[in-house]
Amino acid sequence: MKHPIPDFLEILSTLYEHKVDFIIVGGVCAVLHGAPVTTFDLDLVHSRSPDNLERLMSSLKKLGAYYRSRGEQRLTPRLSDISSPGHQLLMTAYGPLDLLGTIGIGHDYEDLLKHCITIEVGELRLNALDLQTLIEVKKETISEKDKAIIPILKRTLEEKSKQS
Amino acid sequence: MDNKPIYKNSEKAFLSTDDDSYSEDGVDLTLIRWMLTLTPTERLQTLQQNIHSIRKLRGETSDS
Repeated sequence: MKHPIPDFLEILSTLYEHKVDFIIVGGVCAVLHGAPVTTFDLDLVHSRSPDNLERLMSSLKKLGAYYRSRGEQRLTPRLSDISSPGHQLLMTAYGPLDLLGTIGIGHDYEDLLKHCITIEVGELRLNALDLQTLIEVKKETISEKDKAIIPILKRTLEEKSKQS
Repeated sequence: MDNKPIYKNSEKAFLSTDDDSYSEDGVDLTLIRWMLTLTPTERLQTLQQNIHSIRKLRGETSDS
């Protein structure tokens, strides 16, 4: 199956236009902070409030989101799916999008909101997890991929601190 | 005869450059410093260009 070339800005713009409350985490968050890493998907923790889930569903329809693990089935996410604390691994018209109900040891949108900074990307003002918290959450996970990125994130944080 | 692999020495020399290009744990600090000169928008564009380049190398895209 041929996948689209990722355009993270297009996904973020669509969510922003629909006024979806979300926090950028994962590799794209690391890149926005200045870490020289590469990732192929956009990881977001979304608010699971009823109103936000409705807005998120509308934007997912516009993005043509479907589960990327289901091959040609094109199974689309339901409201009950995105209201769960689990991870929804989706493909959209603009590339892979992972919607994460919780990350690490059960941190949800409300927990993480107090550890966010606002990052301006073009016209968008986006919530991204602060670098220190991103490192802490990566430490909580058991993924080897996440562990491998931690030294780079720590050094990025150090270099940023020197500049400020 | 010294059976230590040559790469061990060269690796050590590579990582112990006099300047501070690498951290003690081998992270390339020059890339971090370069990324920090960019705006968040430029960093995101760089990421997307990297993905595009990798996919071209894999033969997954046909455009030049």
